[in-house]
Amino acid sequence: MKEATSFALRGSVVEDELTLTTFELCRACNASEEHIELWVSEGVLQPTGAGRDEWRFGGRSLARMRVAMRLARDLEINSSGVALALDLLDEIEALEARLRRESAPRLRP
Amino acid sequence: MQYKDYYETLGLPRTATQDDIKHAYRKLARKYHPDVSKLADAEARFKDINEANEVLKDPEKRAAYDQVGSGFKAGQEFRPPPNWDAGFEFRGGEAPGGGPGGGGFGGADFDASDFFESLFGARARGGAGARPRRAASMQGEDHHAKVLIDLEDAYRGAERSISLRVPKEGADGRVALEERRLDVHIPRGIRAGQHLRLAGQGASGIGGAPAGDLYLEIEFSMHSRFRVDGADVYVDLPLAPWEAALGATVDAQTPEGTVQLTVPKGSAAGRKLRLKGRGLPAKAGGTPGDLYAVLAIALPPADSDKARQAYAAMAEAFGGYDARRERGG
Repeated sequence: MKEATSFALRGSVVEDELTLTTFELCRACNASEEHIELWVSEGVLQPTGAGRDEWRFGGRSLARMRVAMRLARDLEINSSGVALALDLLDEIEALEARLRRESAPRLRP
Repeated sequence: MQYKDYYETLGLPRTATQDDIKHAYRKLARKYHPDVSKLADAEARFKDINEANEVLKDPEKRAAYDQVGSGFKAGQEFRPPPNWDAGFEFRGGEAPGGGPGGGGFGGADFDASDFFESLFGARARGGAGARPRRAASMQGEDHHAKVLIDLEDAYRGAERSISLRVPKEGADGRVALEERRLDVHIPRGIRAGQHLRLAGQGASGIGGAPAGDLYLEIEFSMHSRFRVDGADVYVDLPLAPWEAALGATVDAQTPEGTVQLTVPKGSAAGRKLRLKGRGLPAKAGGTPGDLYAVLAIALPPADSDKARQAYAAMAEAFGGYDARRERGG
């Protein structure tokens, strides 16, 4: 499994190495440009650049966008509801990370 | 094949109204949606809920299901009677959610059970198989999959052979899942939740158009010893009471092997000793994470006269000590 074959495919780490265009984000998330505009206007996605033709999305937008699409579709909630849910999920994630860091080890008998 | 009781899945009687079904689905979907729920079986539960809703929300499918299944109980061996679906017409409809991962591609692909497919056919589930968009030239779709790696792989970098199930259209126009193997380089320093993009490894394009990309979401397999938080890694370090009280040099496990660690005297349980830069390694231009050894005090058992005497001697030596008070409680 770990032997070195030079044929292994090398990819790019989306979150660290890539910014995505509107077109790339649409394709990767199976979304329309209107979807993307909606999520930008809700503040779920925060691209740099002036208009949607010049927008560049940080790599973390990919996962965020996919969760947003799934929540909107599966839970039938509107875009501001999705935006709220994402903010709350981020908050839970931060609190849980803090809990993991600070979890006091149990005393053993 | 086992009969599935869709009413039971949604917690409803067979007499439920379409409104009841909608409400029950929404409530359960919010509770078990894999993006929201932390329950271990959330993904499987959500799949069942989704499938139940897919059938019951559609009056035609529901009527057909009621007709075929009213005498069955969940889990019972089931075989659809011949021509049971005469007089019904099922539409493909929009693709319901499969949640993240789900074994298939795209997330939009509804991962239906055998039971569902025996009743309504694979075509009824929408998703990749039932979406034959025809165009003279069109770039292939992007695909998504999850890859489980070990924490140690992220420390060293690794090569992993992964297998994917890819929908492929046969000569007769039917879409079947085909196994595809890929050797993928896992870059050193990758974090859980990050994605690898493999250009051109998605669905092939039509009419000479380029193929789509493949996105791999990285997940770490559970580790009995280490906890990971972003780039930082945590390990419990059990100490004997005298090691914590008097200080000691002890062996500590790290994903890169054993290191010697100096525990300062007077260390309390829960104290964290930081090994700077020993967390997940940095990728180009970044900073590495840290490794934290979280101290725990292990009490040796008082299972011999000698051990009991030692504890008694301690009690005497610490005559006025009140553990409850010292804790600040």
